[in-house]
This record gives sequence, structure tokens and C-alpha cells, in this order.
Amino acid sequence: MEAAANTEALDQQFKEFIQALKSAVGSAMPHLKDDPKAVDKALMDCRDILNVVMEGNVKEWLA
Amino acid sequence: MFTDKVDLKDFEKQDPEYQELLRRVLAIQADCEIGGPNLYVKDMLPNAPTRLDQLIVARTAAEEMDHYRKIARLAGDIGVDVSYVLSRANKDRYVEAFRGEIKTWEDYAVFGFLIDRVGRFQLEEFIDCSYLPLARVVGDPDMIREEEGHIDFGVNATAEWAAKGGESKERIQQAVNYWYVKGLDMFGKSESYRSDRYMYWGLKRRPNAVARQQYKDECDALLKQMGLEIPDPNKGRLYT
Repeated sequence: MEAAANTEALDQQFKEFIQALKSAVGSAMPHLKDDPKAVDKALMDCRDILNVVMEGNVKEWLA
Repeated sequence: MFTDKVDLKDFEKQDPEYQELLRRVLAIQADCEIGGPNLYVKDMLPNAPTRLDQLIVARTAAEEMDHYRKIARLAGDIGVDVSYVLSRANKDRYVEAFRGEIKTWEDYAVFGFLIDRVGRFQLEEFIDCSYLPLARVVGDPDMIREEEGHIDFGVNATAEWAAKGGESKERIQQAVNYWYVKGLDMFGKSESYRSDRYMYWGLKRRPNAVARQQYKDECDALLKQMGLEIPDPNKGRLYT
């Protein structure tokens, strides 16, 4: 069975997106009460990643 | 009734109907997994009530993206490229519930309570299914556990709004009224030839009507506990 083109590359790209998002969330959670600036920075990172994913420009990601 | 178990290497040897149904269900599942974040990220990530809630929105989106990734991988391995669902407009989604936008926290809460619950039901359909790679993905506890986390968050947030009473309760009731029928519709037509064929091939476990009734029973019991009204199950329905 031949896999669809880019199956592996898309899988890897998504792993990176997900890892980056979870890392940003994980870094912010312990600092909700003591470091709002760090939380805001993590939220900005989340927004940047999610904007790219929601745009869905797969060709650009995998170029 | 088909009782074989099929691994990737044997997929191409299967009946064309089996292949077509599996391709179809994976494409729809992938669309639904990424359809959720596309509904709520734009407005809920910046506008959730607290920073904690914002982080929960981001984490939920990450988990749904991971579900998309797993399903996209299964589809890709049998030659189906589902990357097209990443860039499609919400209005073009396979399932009607994913065709709008979530702009309020009440809608976000009820979406978790009611629509992610449908997601859990759909994933449960694939437990021990005849296509082993799919059965393995849903058999891994992460996927269903994460979906249950989204549902629990939605249930708790909905209950909190309902408990406040007054305008808050009215607003959450409106959101329930909107999503309740969409959730019921997500199970498809009760008399469905395709649903019968999915069961014949061991790709699903329950008839649409049975799954829908089980879902409705769960939702109705929780709505009663919250002191919310159970919406008319027939009002505004697309499928019965």
C-alpha cells in the first residue's frame, strides 16, 4: 500500500506544532499567580502557533 | 457479518466497499478533529474569561490537533491525503456542527459538554473495530481520556453558569438549546444504509439511533442535575 504524499512530513510537522503548544502551556501553568508576564508571553506563543495551524497553509509548512 | 481483523498490509486485499467506507470515515473524523479548534481558537484564545481559561483553550486545541494527526496518519497510510481539511472554510466542513464560529464562553462551555461528548461516542465506535491500526489508535487511552477531559471541562463550566441563575442561566440555556440538536444530528439518520454497512464490516458498533439515544440519555440526566431545561429534541433537526 502506497501512503499518500507528505504523510510522514505532515505527521512530523504536527508533532512539532503540538509539542511547542504543550510546552508553552506547560511552562505557563505553574506561574498563573506569580508571573503574569510569563503567562502572557506563553499565550502569545500559543496564539502565534495556532494562527499558523488554523491558516492551514500546508504547502508552505512542508516546502 | 465480517469478523476478520485487517492490518495495513492487507488493506488493499479487502472488499472495495470496506476500503471506501474506511477512507470515508477517516476523512470525516479528521475533519471533525480539526474542525473544533477552527471554531473556537480565533475568539476564545484571546477572550476566555481568565488566563487559566486561555491556557485551557490552547491545551484543548493542542489535544484535538494531536487527534487530527493520528487520524491523518491512518488515512495517509491507506493513500488518503486529508491535509485539505486544514485549509477549508468552516462552512465547508462535513458535519454541520462545525460550520460556524464560537464567539462566547457559554458556547465554548456547551460545545465541550455536548459536542465533544459526540466526539467520544464516535471514537468509542472504533474500539476493537476490524481495522487494527484504527483500533490501536483509539485503544490507546490518551485519545478518549483527553476527549473526556474536554467534556468534563464543558460540563463543569456549564453547571457553574447554570448555578449562577438569572441572566447567566438564561444565556447558558440558550447555548444548550443551540448545540443540543446539533449534537443529536451528528449521529446521522436513524435509517441509514451506510450505517448498516459500517456495522457489517466491523467498522462501527452501534446503529445511529442506538448511539443517539444513549447520548441523549447522558445529556438529559446532566441537564436535569444542572436545573436546565431539556430542549425539544425535534426542533431544528436535520436528521431523525
